[in-house]
Amino acid sequence: MKNVLVVDDDADVRIFVSTVLEENNCSPIITKNGDEGLSKVREKKPDLIILDVLMPKRSGIKMYRELKTDDSLKKIPVVILSGIAKRTFLRSQEALTEFGEKGVPEPDFYLEKPVEPEELAEVVKRILS
Amino acid sequence: MQKLLLIDDEEGIRKVLAISLSKDGYQVLTAENGEAGLNIFKKELPQLVLTDIKMPGMDGIEVLKNIKKLHPETEVIIITGHGDMDTAIEALQHDASDFINKPIKDEALIIALKRAKERIFLKKKLKEYTDDLEHMIKIATEEVRRRVDFQNKLITSSNDGVVATDEEGKIVTYNQGAENIFGYTRSEVMRKMNITDLYPQDVADEFLQGFRKNKTIDSSWNEATILAKDRQEVPTRFSGSILFENDEVIGSVGFFRDLREVKKLQQELIKSERLAATGQTVAGLAHYIKNILIGLRGGVYVSNVALAKNDTEKLKSGWSMIERNVSRISDLVLNLLNYSKEHKPEYEYCYPNDIVEEVCSLLDPTAKDDQIEIIRNFDQSVGEVSLDSGAIHRTLLNLVSNAIDACLYDSNGKKRRRILVKTSSENNRMLRIDVSDNGNGMDEEVKSKLFTSFFSTKGGKGTGLGLLVTNKIVKENGGTIEVDSKKGEGSTFTIRLPYKNKEGNDDAKKSMAFNP
Repeated sequence: MKNVLVVDDDADVRIFVSTVLEENNCSPIITKNGDEGLSKVREKKPDLIILDVLMPKRSGIKMYRELKTDDSLKKIPVVILSGIAKRTFLRSQEALTEFGEKGVPEPDFYLEKPVEPEELAEVVKRILS
Repeated sequence: MQKLLLIDDEEGIRKVLAISLSKDGYQVLTAENGEAGLNIFKKELPQLVLTDIKMPGMDGIEVLKNIKKLHPETEVIIITGHGDMDTAIEALQHDASDFINKPIKDEALIIALKRAKERIFLKKKLKEYTDDLEHMIKIATEEVRRRVDFQNKLITSSNDGVVATDEEGKIVTYNQGAENIFGYTRSEVMRKMNITDLYPQDVADEFLQGFRKNKTIDSSWNEATILAKDRQEVPTRFSGSILFENDEVIGSVGFFRDLREVKKLQQELIKSERLAATGQTVAGLAHYIKNILIGLRGGVYVSNVALAKNDTEKLKSGWSMIERNVSRISDLVLNLLNYSKEHKPEYEYCYPNDIVEEVCSLLDPTAKDDQIEIIRNFDQSVGEVSLDSGAIHRTLLNLVSNAIDACLYDSNGKKRRRILVKTSSENNRMLRIDVSDNGNGMDEEVKSKLFTSFFSTKGGKGTGLGLLVTNKIVKENGGTIEVDSKKGEGSTFTIRLPYKNKEGNDDAKKSMAFNP
C-alpha cells in the first residue's frame, strides 16, 4: 500500500481526499499545514504528496519550494489541489525565482477544486503506477 | 475784508478809529448812536462790533443785548470810561467779548480785536466741526438703519429658525424658518409665548437658569428634538446663546436647523449603500457558496462510501462534513438577512457574563485544536441588566472566531497564541467587551476596509459579512465598536453596548433581601 501525504487546512477536504485514497488502496497521512506537512514528509518519506496552496503556517507555495529544492525530497511527486488557479500558482513560483531563488519544476499534476472523486483517483493511480 | 461796526456818539473818536482800523484792513461802518448802530448791524451783519457804553438814547449795554439776541456769535467789544469796572463787568455778563478803556490806546484795541478775531475763527471752526459731526451722525444713523434692515432681512429670510427672547424668556423674534419648524405662526408666538413653550425642556431650563444667574451658556449646534404645534417631534440642530449688554442679560437668541430632510436623505443613503454593497458581493458570495457545496458533495461521497462498507466511523465523519456545511450555509443566510433587514433590538434581562462565557466555551474546542487559549477576564460587578442578549451572542461569536483566525494565520510560529476576552462596566450604564488576540494583526489598509464593504482577508473561507453584520448590530443597539491593531502584533476589538439596570436592583433592595 502506497503512503500518500495530504496537506490541507480544510477538515472537509482532508476527510474527502483520505476517503478517496482509501478507496483506491492508498494509506493517507493527514496534516493541516505546511509546517506539519514538511515534518511528516521527512519522517514518513511518502510516495505522493497532495498539497493545498492557501494555508496558515507555511503556505503550499513555500512548502512546494522547499520540497523541490531539498535533494532528499525533490523526487517525491506532488499533486497540487487548490482553489487557486494553476496560472496563479505558477506565477507566484516565477516571482520567487525572479527574487533570486532557484527555479523549481512544475508540479506533477495540478487539480483545481472542486475535484470529482474519480478524477482525483485517476490522477493518483497514474502517478503511482 | 472783515466788516467792523463802530458805534460812538463822539465824532472825533469815530473818525480817528475809522482811519486807524481801515489801515489795519477792516471795512469800517460807523454809527453815532445805538438805534442807528442796530439798523446798520441788521443790514450789514458785521462779525465785529465796537460800541461805546455811555450814549444818549440806547446805551451800549442795550446795543449789546440786542445784538446778542439777533446774532449770538457776533463779537462785541465794549468801550468803557476809565475805571468804570461795574459797567465792564455788566457788559461781560451779557456776553461781551472784551472791553477797552477810554482813552483808547491803539495797542489795547489791537489786542482786543485780535482776540475777537481769534474767537471768530474758533467759533467758525467749532461750527464746522459741529456741522461735520451732525453730518457724520446722519451718515452713521443711515448706516445703522441699513444694517438693522439688512439684519432683519437676514433673520426673516434665513432658512434656519431664528428665535429671540427678552431677559424673561418672552419671545420677541420669530422668523419664517421658525414658523416652518415649530408650526406656530408669528402672531401666535410673538410676545405671547415663552421660551418654555417652544424650546425642548432641558434647553429652556438651561436658558432660564442662565438668565437668573446672569451667566452665559454653552450651546453650540447640538441635536435637539422639538415638539411642533401638531405634537410631531422635529429633529433639529440647535445653537443658542444668552445676550448681554454691559454684563447684564438682555435676552437670548436661538438658531434651529431643520434636520428632517437631512435625516430622510441620510436614511435613504444608508439604504442605497447597503443595496449597492449587497450587489457587489454576489460574486464573492457565489464563490463562498460554491465552497460549501464542495463540502456538502464531499460529505455525501464519504457517507456513500461508508454506507456501502457499513463503516460507522467513516459515516460519522461524512455526516459531520454535511452537518458542518449545512451550518455554514445557515450562518450565511442568517448573516445576509441580518445585514439587509432593519432589526429592532430585543431587550431582555440577562447576565452578560454568562452569554460571553457561553460563546467562549462554544469556541474553546476549535481554539484548542490549534493550541490557542481563550482567557476570560469577567468583571463580576456586571450583574443582571436589560440588553439585547442575541446581539451580544452574535457579535461576540464573530469577534472571537475572527481572533482565532487571526492567530491561525499568523506566520510567527514561536508565539504562544492567546485570546483575551474581557468584560467590564463603564459608568454603570455601558457594557464593554474587549476581544484581544496576539495574532497577525492588520495594516492600515485592511483596517480602513473593515466595516465598509464585503471585504475579506480569508479568501474563499470568508464572506466579508461578519464584521459588517457585527457593526450593524452594535449600531442598532446604540453601541460603538472600535479597533486597535498592529501588523504582526495582534488586534483588539472593543464593543460598548448601553444597558439598563434591573429596576429595584439597587443597594436598598439588596439589603432588604437580607432581612427575614
